[in-house]
Amino acid sequence: MMNILLCCAAGMSTSLLVTKMEAAAKAEGFEAKIWAVSASEVNQHLDQADVLLVGPQVRYLLPQLKKKGAEKGIPVDAINPVHYGRCNGEEVLKFARSLIGS
Amino acid sequence: MGKFNQMLEEKVMPVAARIAGQKHLQALRDGIILTMPLIIIGSIFLILGFLPIDGYPEFMARTFGDQWSTKLLYPVSASFDIMALIAGFGIAYRLAEHYKVDALNAGAISVAAFILATPYFTMFTPEGAKEAIQVTGVLPMAYLGSKGLFVAMIIAILSTEIYRFIIQKNIVIKMPDGVPPSVSRSFVALFPAFLVILVVWLLRLLIENTSFETLHNVVGQLLQEPLSALGGSLIGALIAVFLVQLLWSTGLHGASIVGGVMGPIWLAQTDANRVALQAGQELPNVVTQQFFDIFIYLGGSGATISFALMMLFMAKSQQSKQLGRLAIGPGIFNINEPITFGAPIVMNPLLIIPFILTPLVLVITTYIGMSTGFAPRTAGVAVPWTTPPIIGGYLATGGNIRGALMQVINLVVAFAIYYPFFRMWDKQNLKQEQSTGN
Repeated sequence: MMNILLCCAAGMSTSLLVTKMEAAAKAEGFEAKIWAVSASEVNQHLDQADVLLVGPQVRYLLPQLKKKGAEKGIPVDAINPVHYGRCNGEEVLKFARSLIGS
Repeated sequence: MGKFNQMLEEKVMPVAARIAGQKHLQALRDGIILTMPLIIIGSIFLILGFLPIDGYPEFMARTFGDQWSTKLLYPVSASFDIMALIAGFGIAYRLAEHYKVDALNAGAISVAAFILATPYFTMFTPEGAKEAIQVTGVLPMAYLGSKGLFVAMIIAILSTEIYRFIIQKNIVIKMPDGVPPSVSRSFVALFPAFLVILVVWLLRLLIENTSFETLHNVVGQLLQEPLSALGGSLIGALIAVFLVQLLWSTGLHGASIVGGVMGPIWLAQTDANRVALQAGQELPNVVTQQFFDIFIYLGGSGATISFALMMLFMAKSQQSKQLGRLAIGPGIFNINEPITFGAPIVMNPLLIIPFILTPLVLVITTYIGMSTGFAPRTAGVAVPWTTPPIIGGYLATGGNIRGALMQVINLVVAFAIYYPFFRMWDKQNLKQEQSTGN
């Protein structure tokens, strides 16, 4: 069971990606809890996550979020803009798994 | 493009990161969000109180009695009218969280400090009397709402900075020997809050001796009014929208970055219209939060809903059609990342042109429409930015069909600007597909 947290400005457009990633995870038989929050809510959710993926449009928050992630030992990175735009759940899921190394 | 790209990454990104990551601006943004659910709930009652339908007030009065409007608007006072109080708490809470000191305490202290900066009387002119008399034992409701928003913001930051400074400096009061340690600790815990109250109290005493009389007047005249005049002007709106679009063109969330600075100003502008509506006066402001959210960003930043419709119904290439199908659903709710990153518009000179141009033109059309009275101004109703076009325009103007009409006009204008660029883009896609044999 892997916990994947996504974050963008309002958590709206990342939630679009969540449904695609869930579908991809289901197709692969991979168990994962995937959810999206707004940038202001990340603090409250970070503890429950194994990995944090950041929408490319808020990648300016990356240094700050990476620091927070490092404190808790949680990998943090930005989502590839093309995968993001095309809502490519498969690729983003793969990326999340590669960050954790599972 | 490579060099341009690199320049943006190296120059624009750090600036955007600094603005968006600046702890006080972040606390302001995240703290003010706390008021939003309340204001949206209050908006439902506000709309019902002022539906611009012939015979509606008479019908309501017949059904619920003469006092119907007053009673219906009770929740408006408990949401809109305490906006500053809630925001002040939220801002202090978020800032304290950032400093890793007790956030709940910081929030409570900030509320106390804000009340301390507010006069405990109001002026009232009794019927038939010529001069206003001072009524004591009250808190003027206006100062707890948007009129006091900037005071609440300043006090929240000031009080939390003092609070965390004292705690982090670990300033300790030496108690005489023989005082049990836990007793001395309980005194020490009071010290940061005491200092906050002391500072704001002295500030109030000081200002009461000047012609300003209250901190609310100081901040109102020196800060809130000039900033509102600037942010509420046509030029201000154009600059803000240009920056939003420029940032989005590089793939950064422009609305979030620019809104982090301009949000409080536009919120105060929005609410001034609501106050005027309730007082039966003409709505003073054209440029409000809903001016942008509802009338300019149709389908998301860049007014891309027209572009999504073209992809869906007029595209020749498979790629464009596919993206149209993906983009239209979120687009209806003003979410357009599939287009900005999927088309992409980001770093794509061809599509950046209409992406920047369209919202700028819509600012002008909407501004003209609302200042000439052709379209109604936004009525202070906090319509969530995810409300679909046409419904949004109707609700934001307090249930006025001409608000929806203004949006339709803007949709047509956006369509006209995007169309030639869409054709070129679609042709490129088609050529690419044919050459790769797809």
